[in-house]
Amino acid sequence: MSEADPSGYAEPSSLLYRLEFILESDPLIDEVGFVHPSQFAALSDMSGSPSLSSMSMEPQSDKSKLKASQVNPTDMAFWSRDHKLGISTQAIHPLYNAAKHAFCSSLEQYKLLIHLNPKKVGLDSDNVSNVSSLATLECEVMKHSRALLLLSCDFGTAWNCRKEVVSKKQNMMLYLDELLVSTLVLSYSPKSERAWSHRRWVVKMIAGKCKNLQEILKNESELAQRIAEKSKMNYRAWNYRCWLVSYMPENQVINELIKYRDWAGLHVADNSCFHYRTRLLTRTLADSFYKQDLKASHVHTTAEVCQLWKEELSWSEILIKRYIGREALWLYRRFLALCWIKHFAARMGGTHVESFVDNELQLFRSCTTVPDNQMDEPQSVETGEKVGEELEKVLNKVCPEKAFLWDLVRKKNGGLI
Amino acid sequence: MKITALLVLKCNPDGSSDPVILANATDVSHFGYFQRSSVKEFIVFVGRTVAKRTPPSQRQSVQHEEYKVHSYNRNGLCALGFMDDDYPVRSVFSLLNQVLDEYQKNFGDSWKAVQTDCSQAWPYLDEALTRFQDPAQADKLLKIQRELDETKIILHKTIDSVLERGEKLDSLVEKSSDLSTASQMFYKQAKKTNQCCTIL
Repeated sequence: MSEADPSGYAEPSSLLYRLEFILESDPLIDEVGFVHPSQFAALSDMSGSPSLSSMSMEPQSDKSKLKASQVNPTDMAFWSRDHKLGISTQAIHPLYNAAKHAFCSSLEQYKLLIHLNPKKVGLDSDNVSNVSSLATLECEVMKHSRALLLLSCDFGTAWNCRKEVVSKKQNMMLYLDELLVSTLVLSYSPKSERAWSHRRWVVKMIAGKCKNLQEILKNESELAQRIAEKSKMNYRAWNYRCWLVSYMPENQVINELIKYRDWAGLHVADNSCFHYRTRLLTRTLADSFYKQDLKASHVHTTAEVCQLWKEELSWSEILIKRYIGREALWLYRRFLALCWIKHFAARMGGTHVESFVDNELQLFRSCTTVPDNQMDEPQSVETGEKVGEELEKVLNKVCPEKAFLWDLVRKKNGGLI
Repeated sequence: MKITALLVLKCNPDGSSDPVILANATDVSHFGYFQRSSVKEFIVFVGRTVAKRTPPSQRQSVQHEEYKVHSYNRNGLCALGFMDDDYPVRSVFSLLNQVLDEYQKNFGDSWKAVQTDCSQAWPYLDEALTRFQDPAQADKLLKIQRELDETKIILHKTIDSVLERGEKLDSLVEKSSDLSTASQMFYKQAKKTNQCCTIL
């Protein structure tokens, strides 16, 4: 097998072996990518640092763990450095076939063994050989399924058998390892539904049994954000993040709102980001009501929540004024305004509701004046019309007696709305 | 809001030969590890292509997938910004104006004699790339510049509309010396599969 022959990367099973070896020897690998063979040299130049697990250009004598016949010193199928793994695009097809074949056959044997020993294997001392076979097969299945998932992110059977193997053991570390596998898959396929649902499965399984769940949730939330930032319009990432909220304790919910406010301020076109905030805020309301129902004297908590909402409203106003014509911001404000009037304003007494609505109309008016210069966002006129409709709906629902104000605003804007 | 790159190029008055890169500040840290070198190459390629087709005293913004490339050619000295869709357009051009001012302050007219791409980093540009990630910073510049020229900004919905009649992006990609084989391969692959997440 010469370098010049692109299909001659040795046997496919050797490719699989090498891939699995790399994954075993560097458990910190957090990113996988598929690279053109011509990039290997450039990558080595780019990273600069000496490689620990790179398999190119190293003398065979260093590979004491591997048999000499299995290592091609001028390996151009894999590149690994700085916990990043690159797989040559030319190796993908044979590698996938080998991985699928290995996985399916090991899975078949595993299922057979389970079927033959339906009772819990391991308790019966007569079945010592079965126990070790089972352990070996489990290991094989896990090894091959991981390699396979790096090439085919939505291979359902692979994800499911991993769930099956892990759930048979009561080991927290194994569950956390599953999160790592999912992260690796998401690094090359950030919208993979199976990878995200695998994370949901892990969280569900460890929820009652884990001491540091809050820490894990914090990391999950951060991961979802990082991935959402890198891959635009990633509904699944945001959906997962919203789903996590139901597992978060109250203080963590409030913390999330405050911690990620600045980030949201730099992503004003991202409606999913603001939708996540509505999820968090709704949760604060639910918590408050729950407490009130129990007649607990947690007045300070409700005051804290009230303050939070006030801050959110004023921050939303600043953003709207700064970035004219952003639909996501207006939709968010609709949510805030409606909830404020419904749940908080009544307690503020007297003319609060009226002055609040007045302020909203004021804000709306100040944003609908179409400026003269050409440098404005093209969406702003359309958004202005939409906002007009929204505000009208809110007004009619909440204080119909104020509806006359709407006509006034319309007249003043010269029928623009 | 994201600024991925800021470039300064020298454009020939008749637009005949390719522009020369005078300064390049790029941040590809938010891309996958293995995409980064290709992204840098595409930035150079697209930057050159757009700058070449930006006549003097003109501003234009070109939409390319989820990015906008903004270009301002001021008497042959051209500033380019690669921003995401969120970044307000008015802030971009006040920033590009500032970049050109600073460049002339630091380098005078020496750029007129440059014939090949400059590989040296310009610290100001790297710093600007970081500082103006928040467009509010760029808006502070806006106050000074609102009275300046009222040239309209031309908006292009695709990069194809910048090209001349008969020119195709595919053939430009193939001919370009800015793009390695790997990058060209990725470009073709992305087009074939019509991914929603492409390199640039």
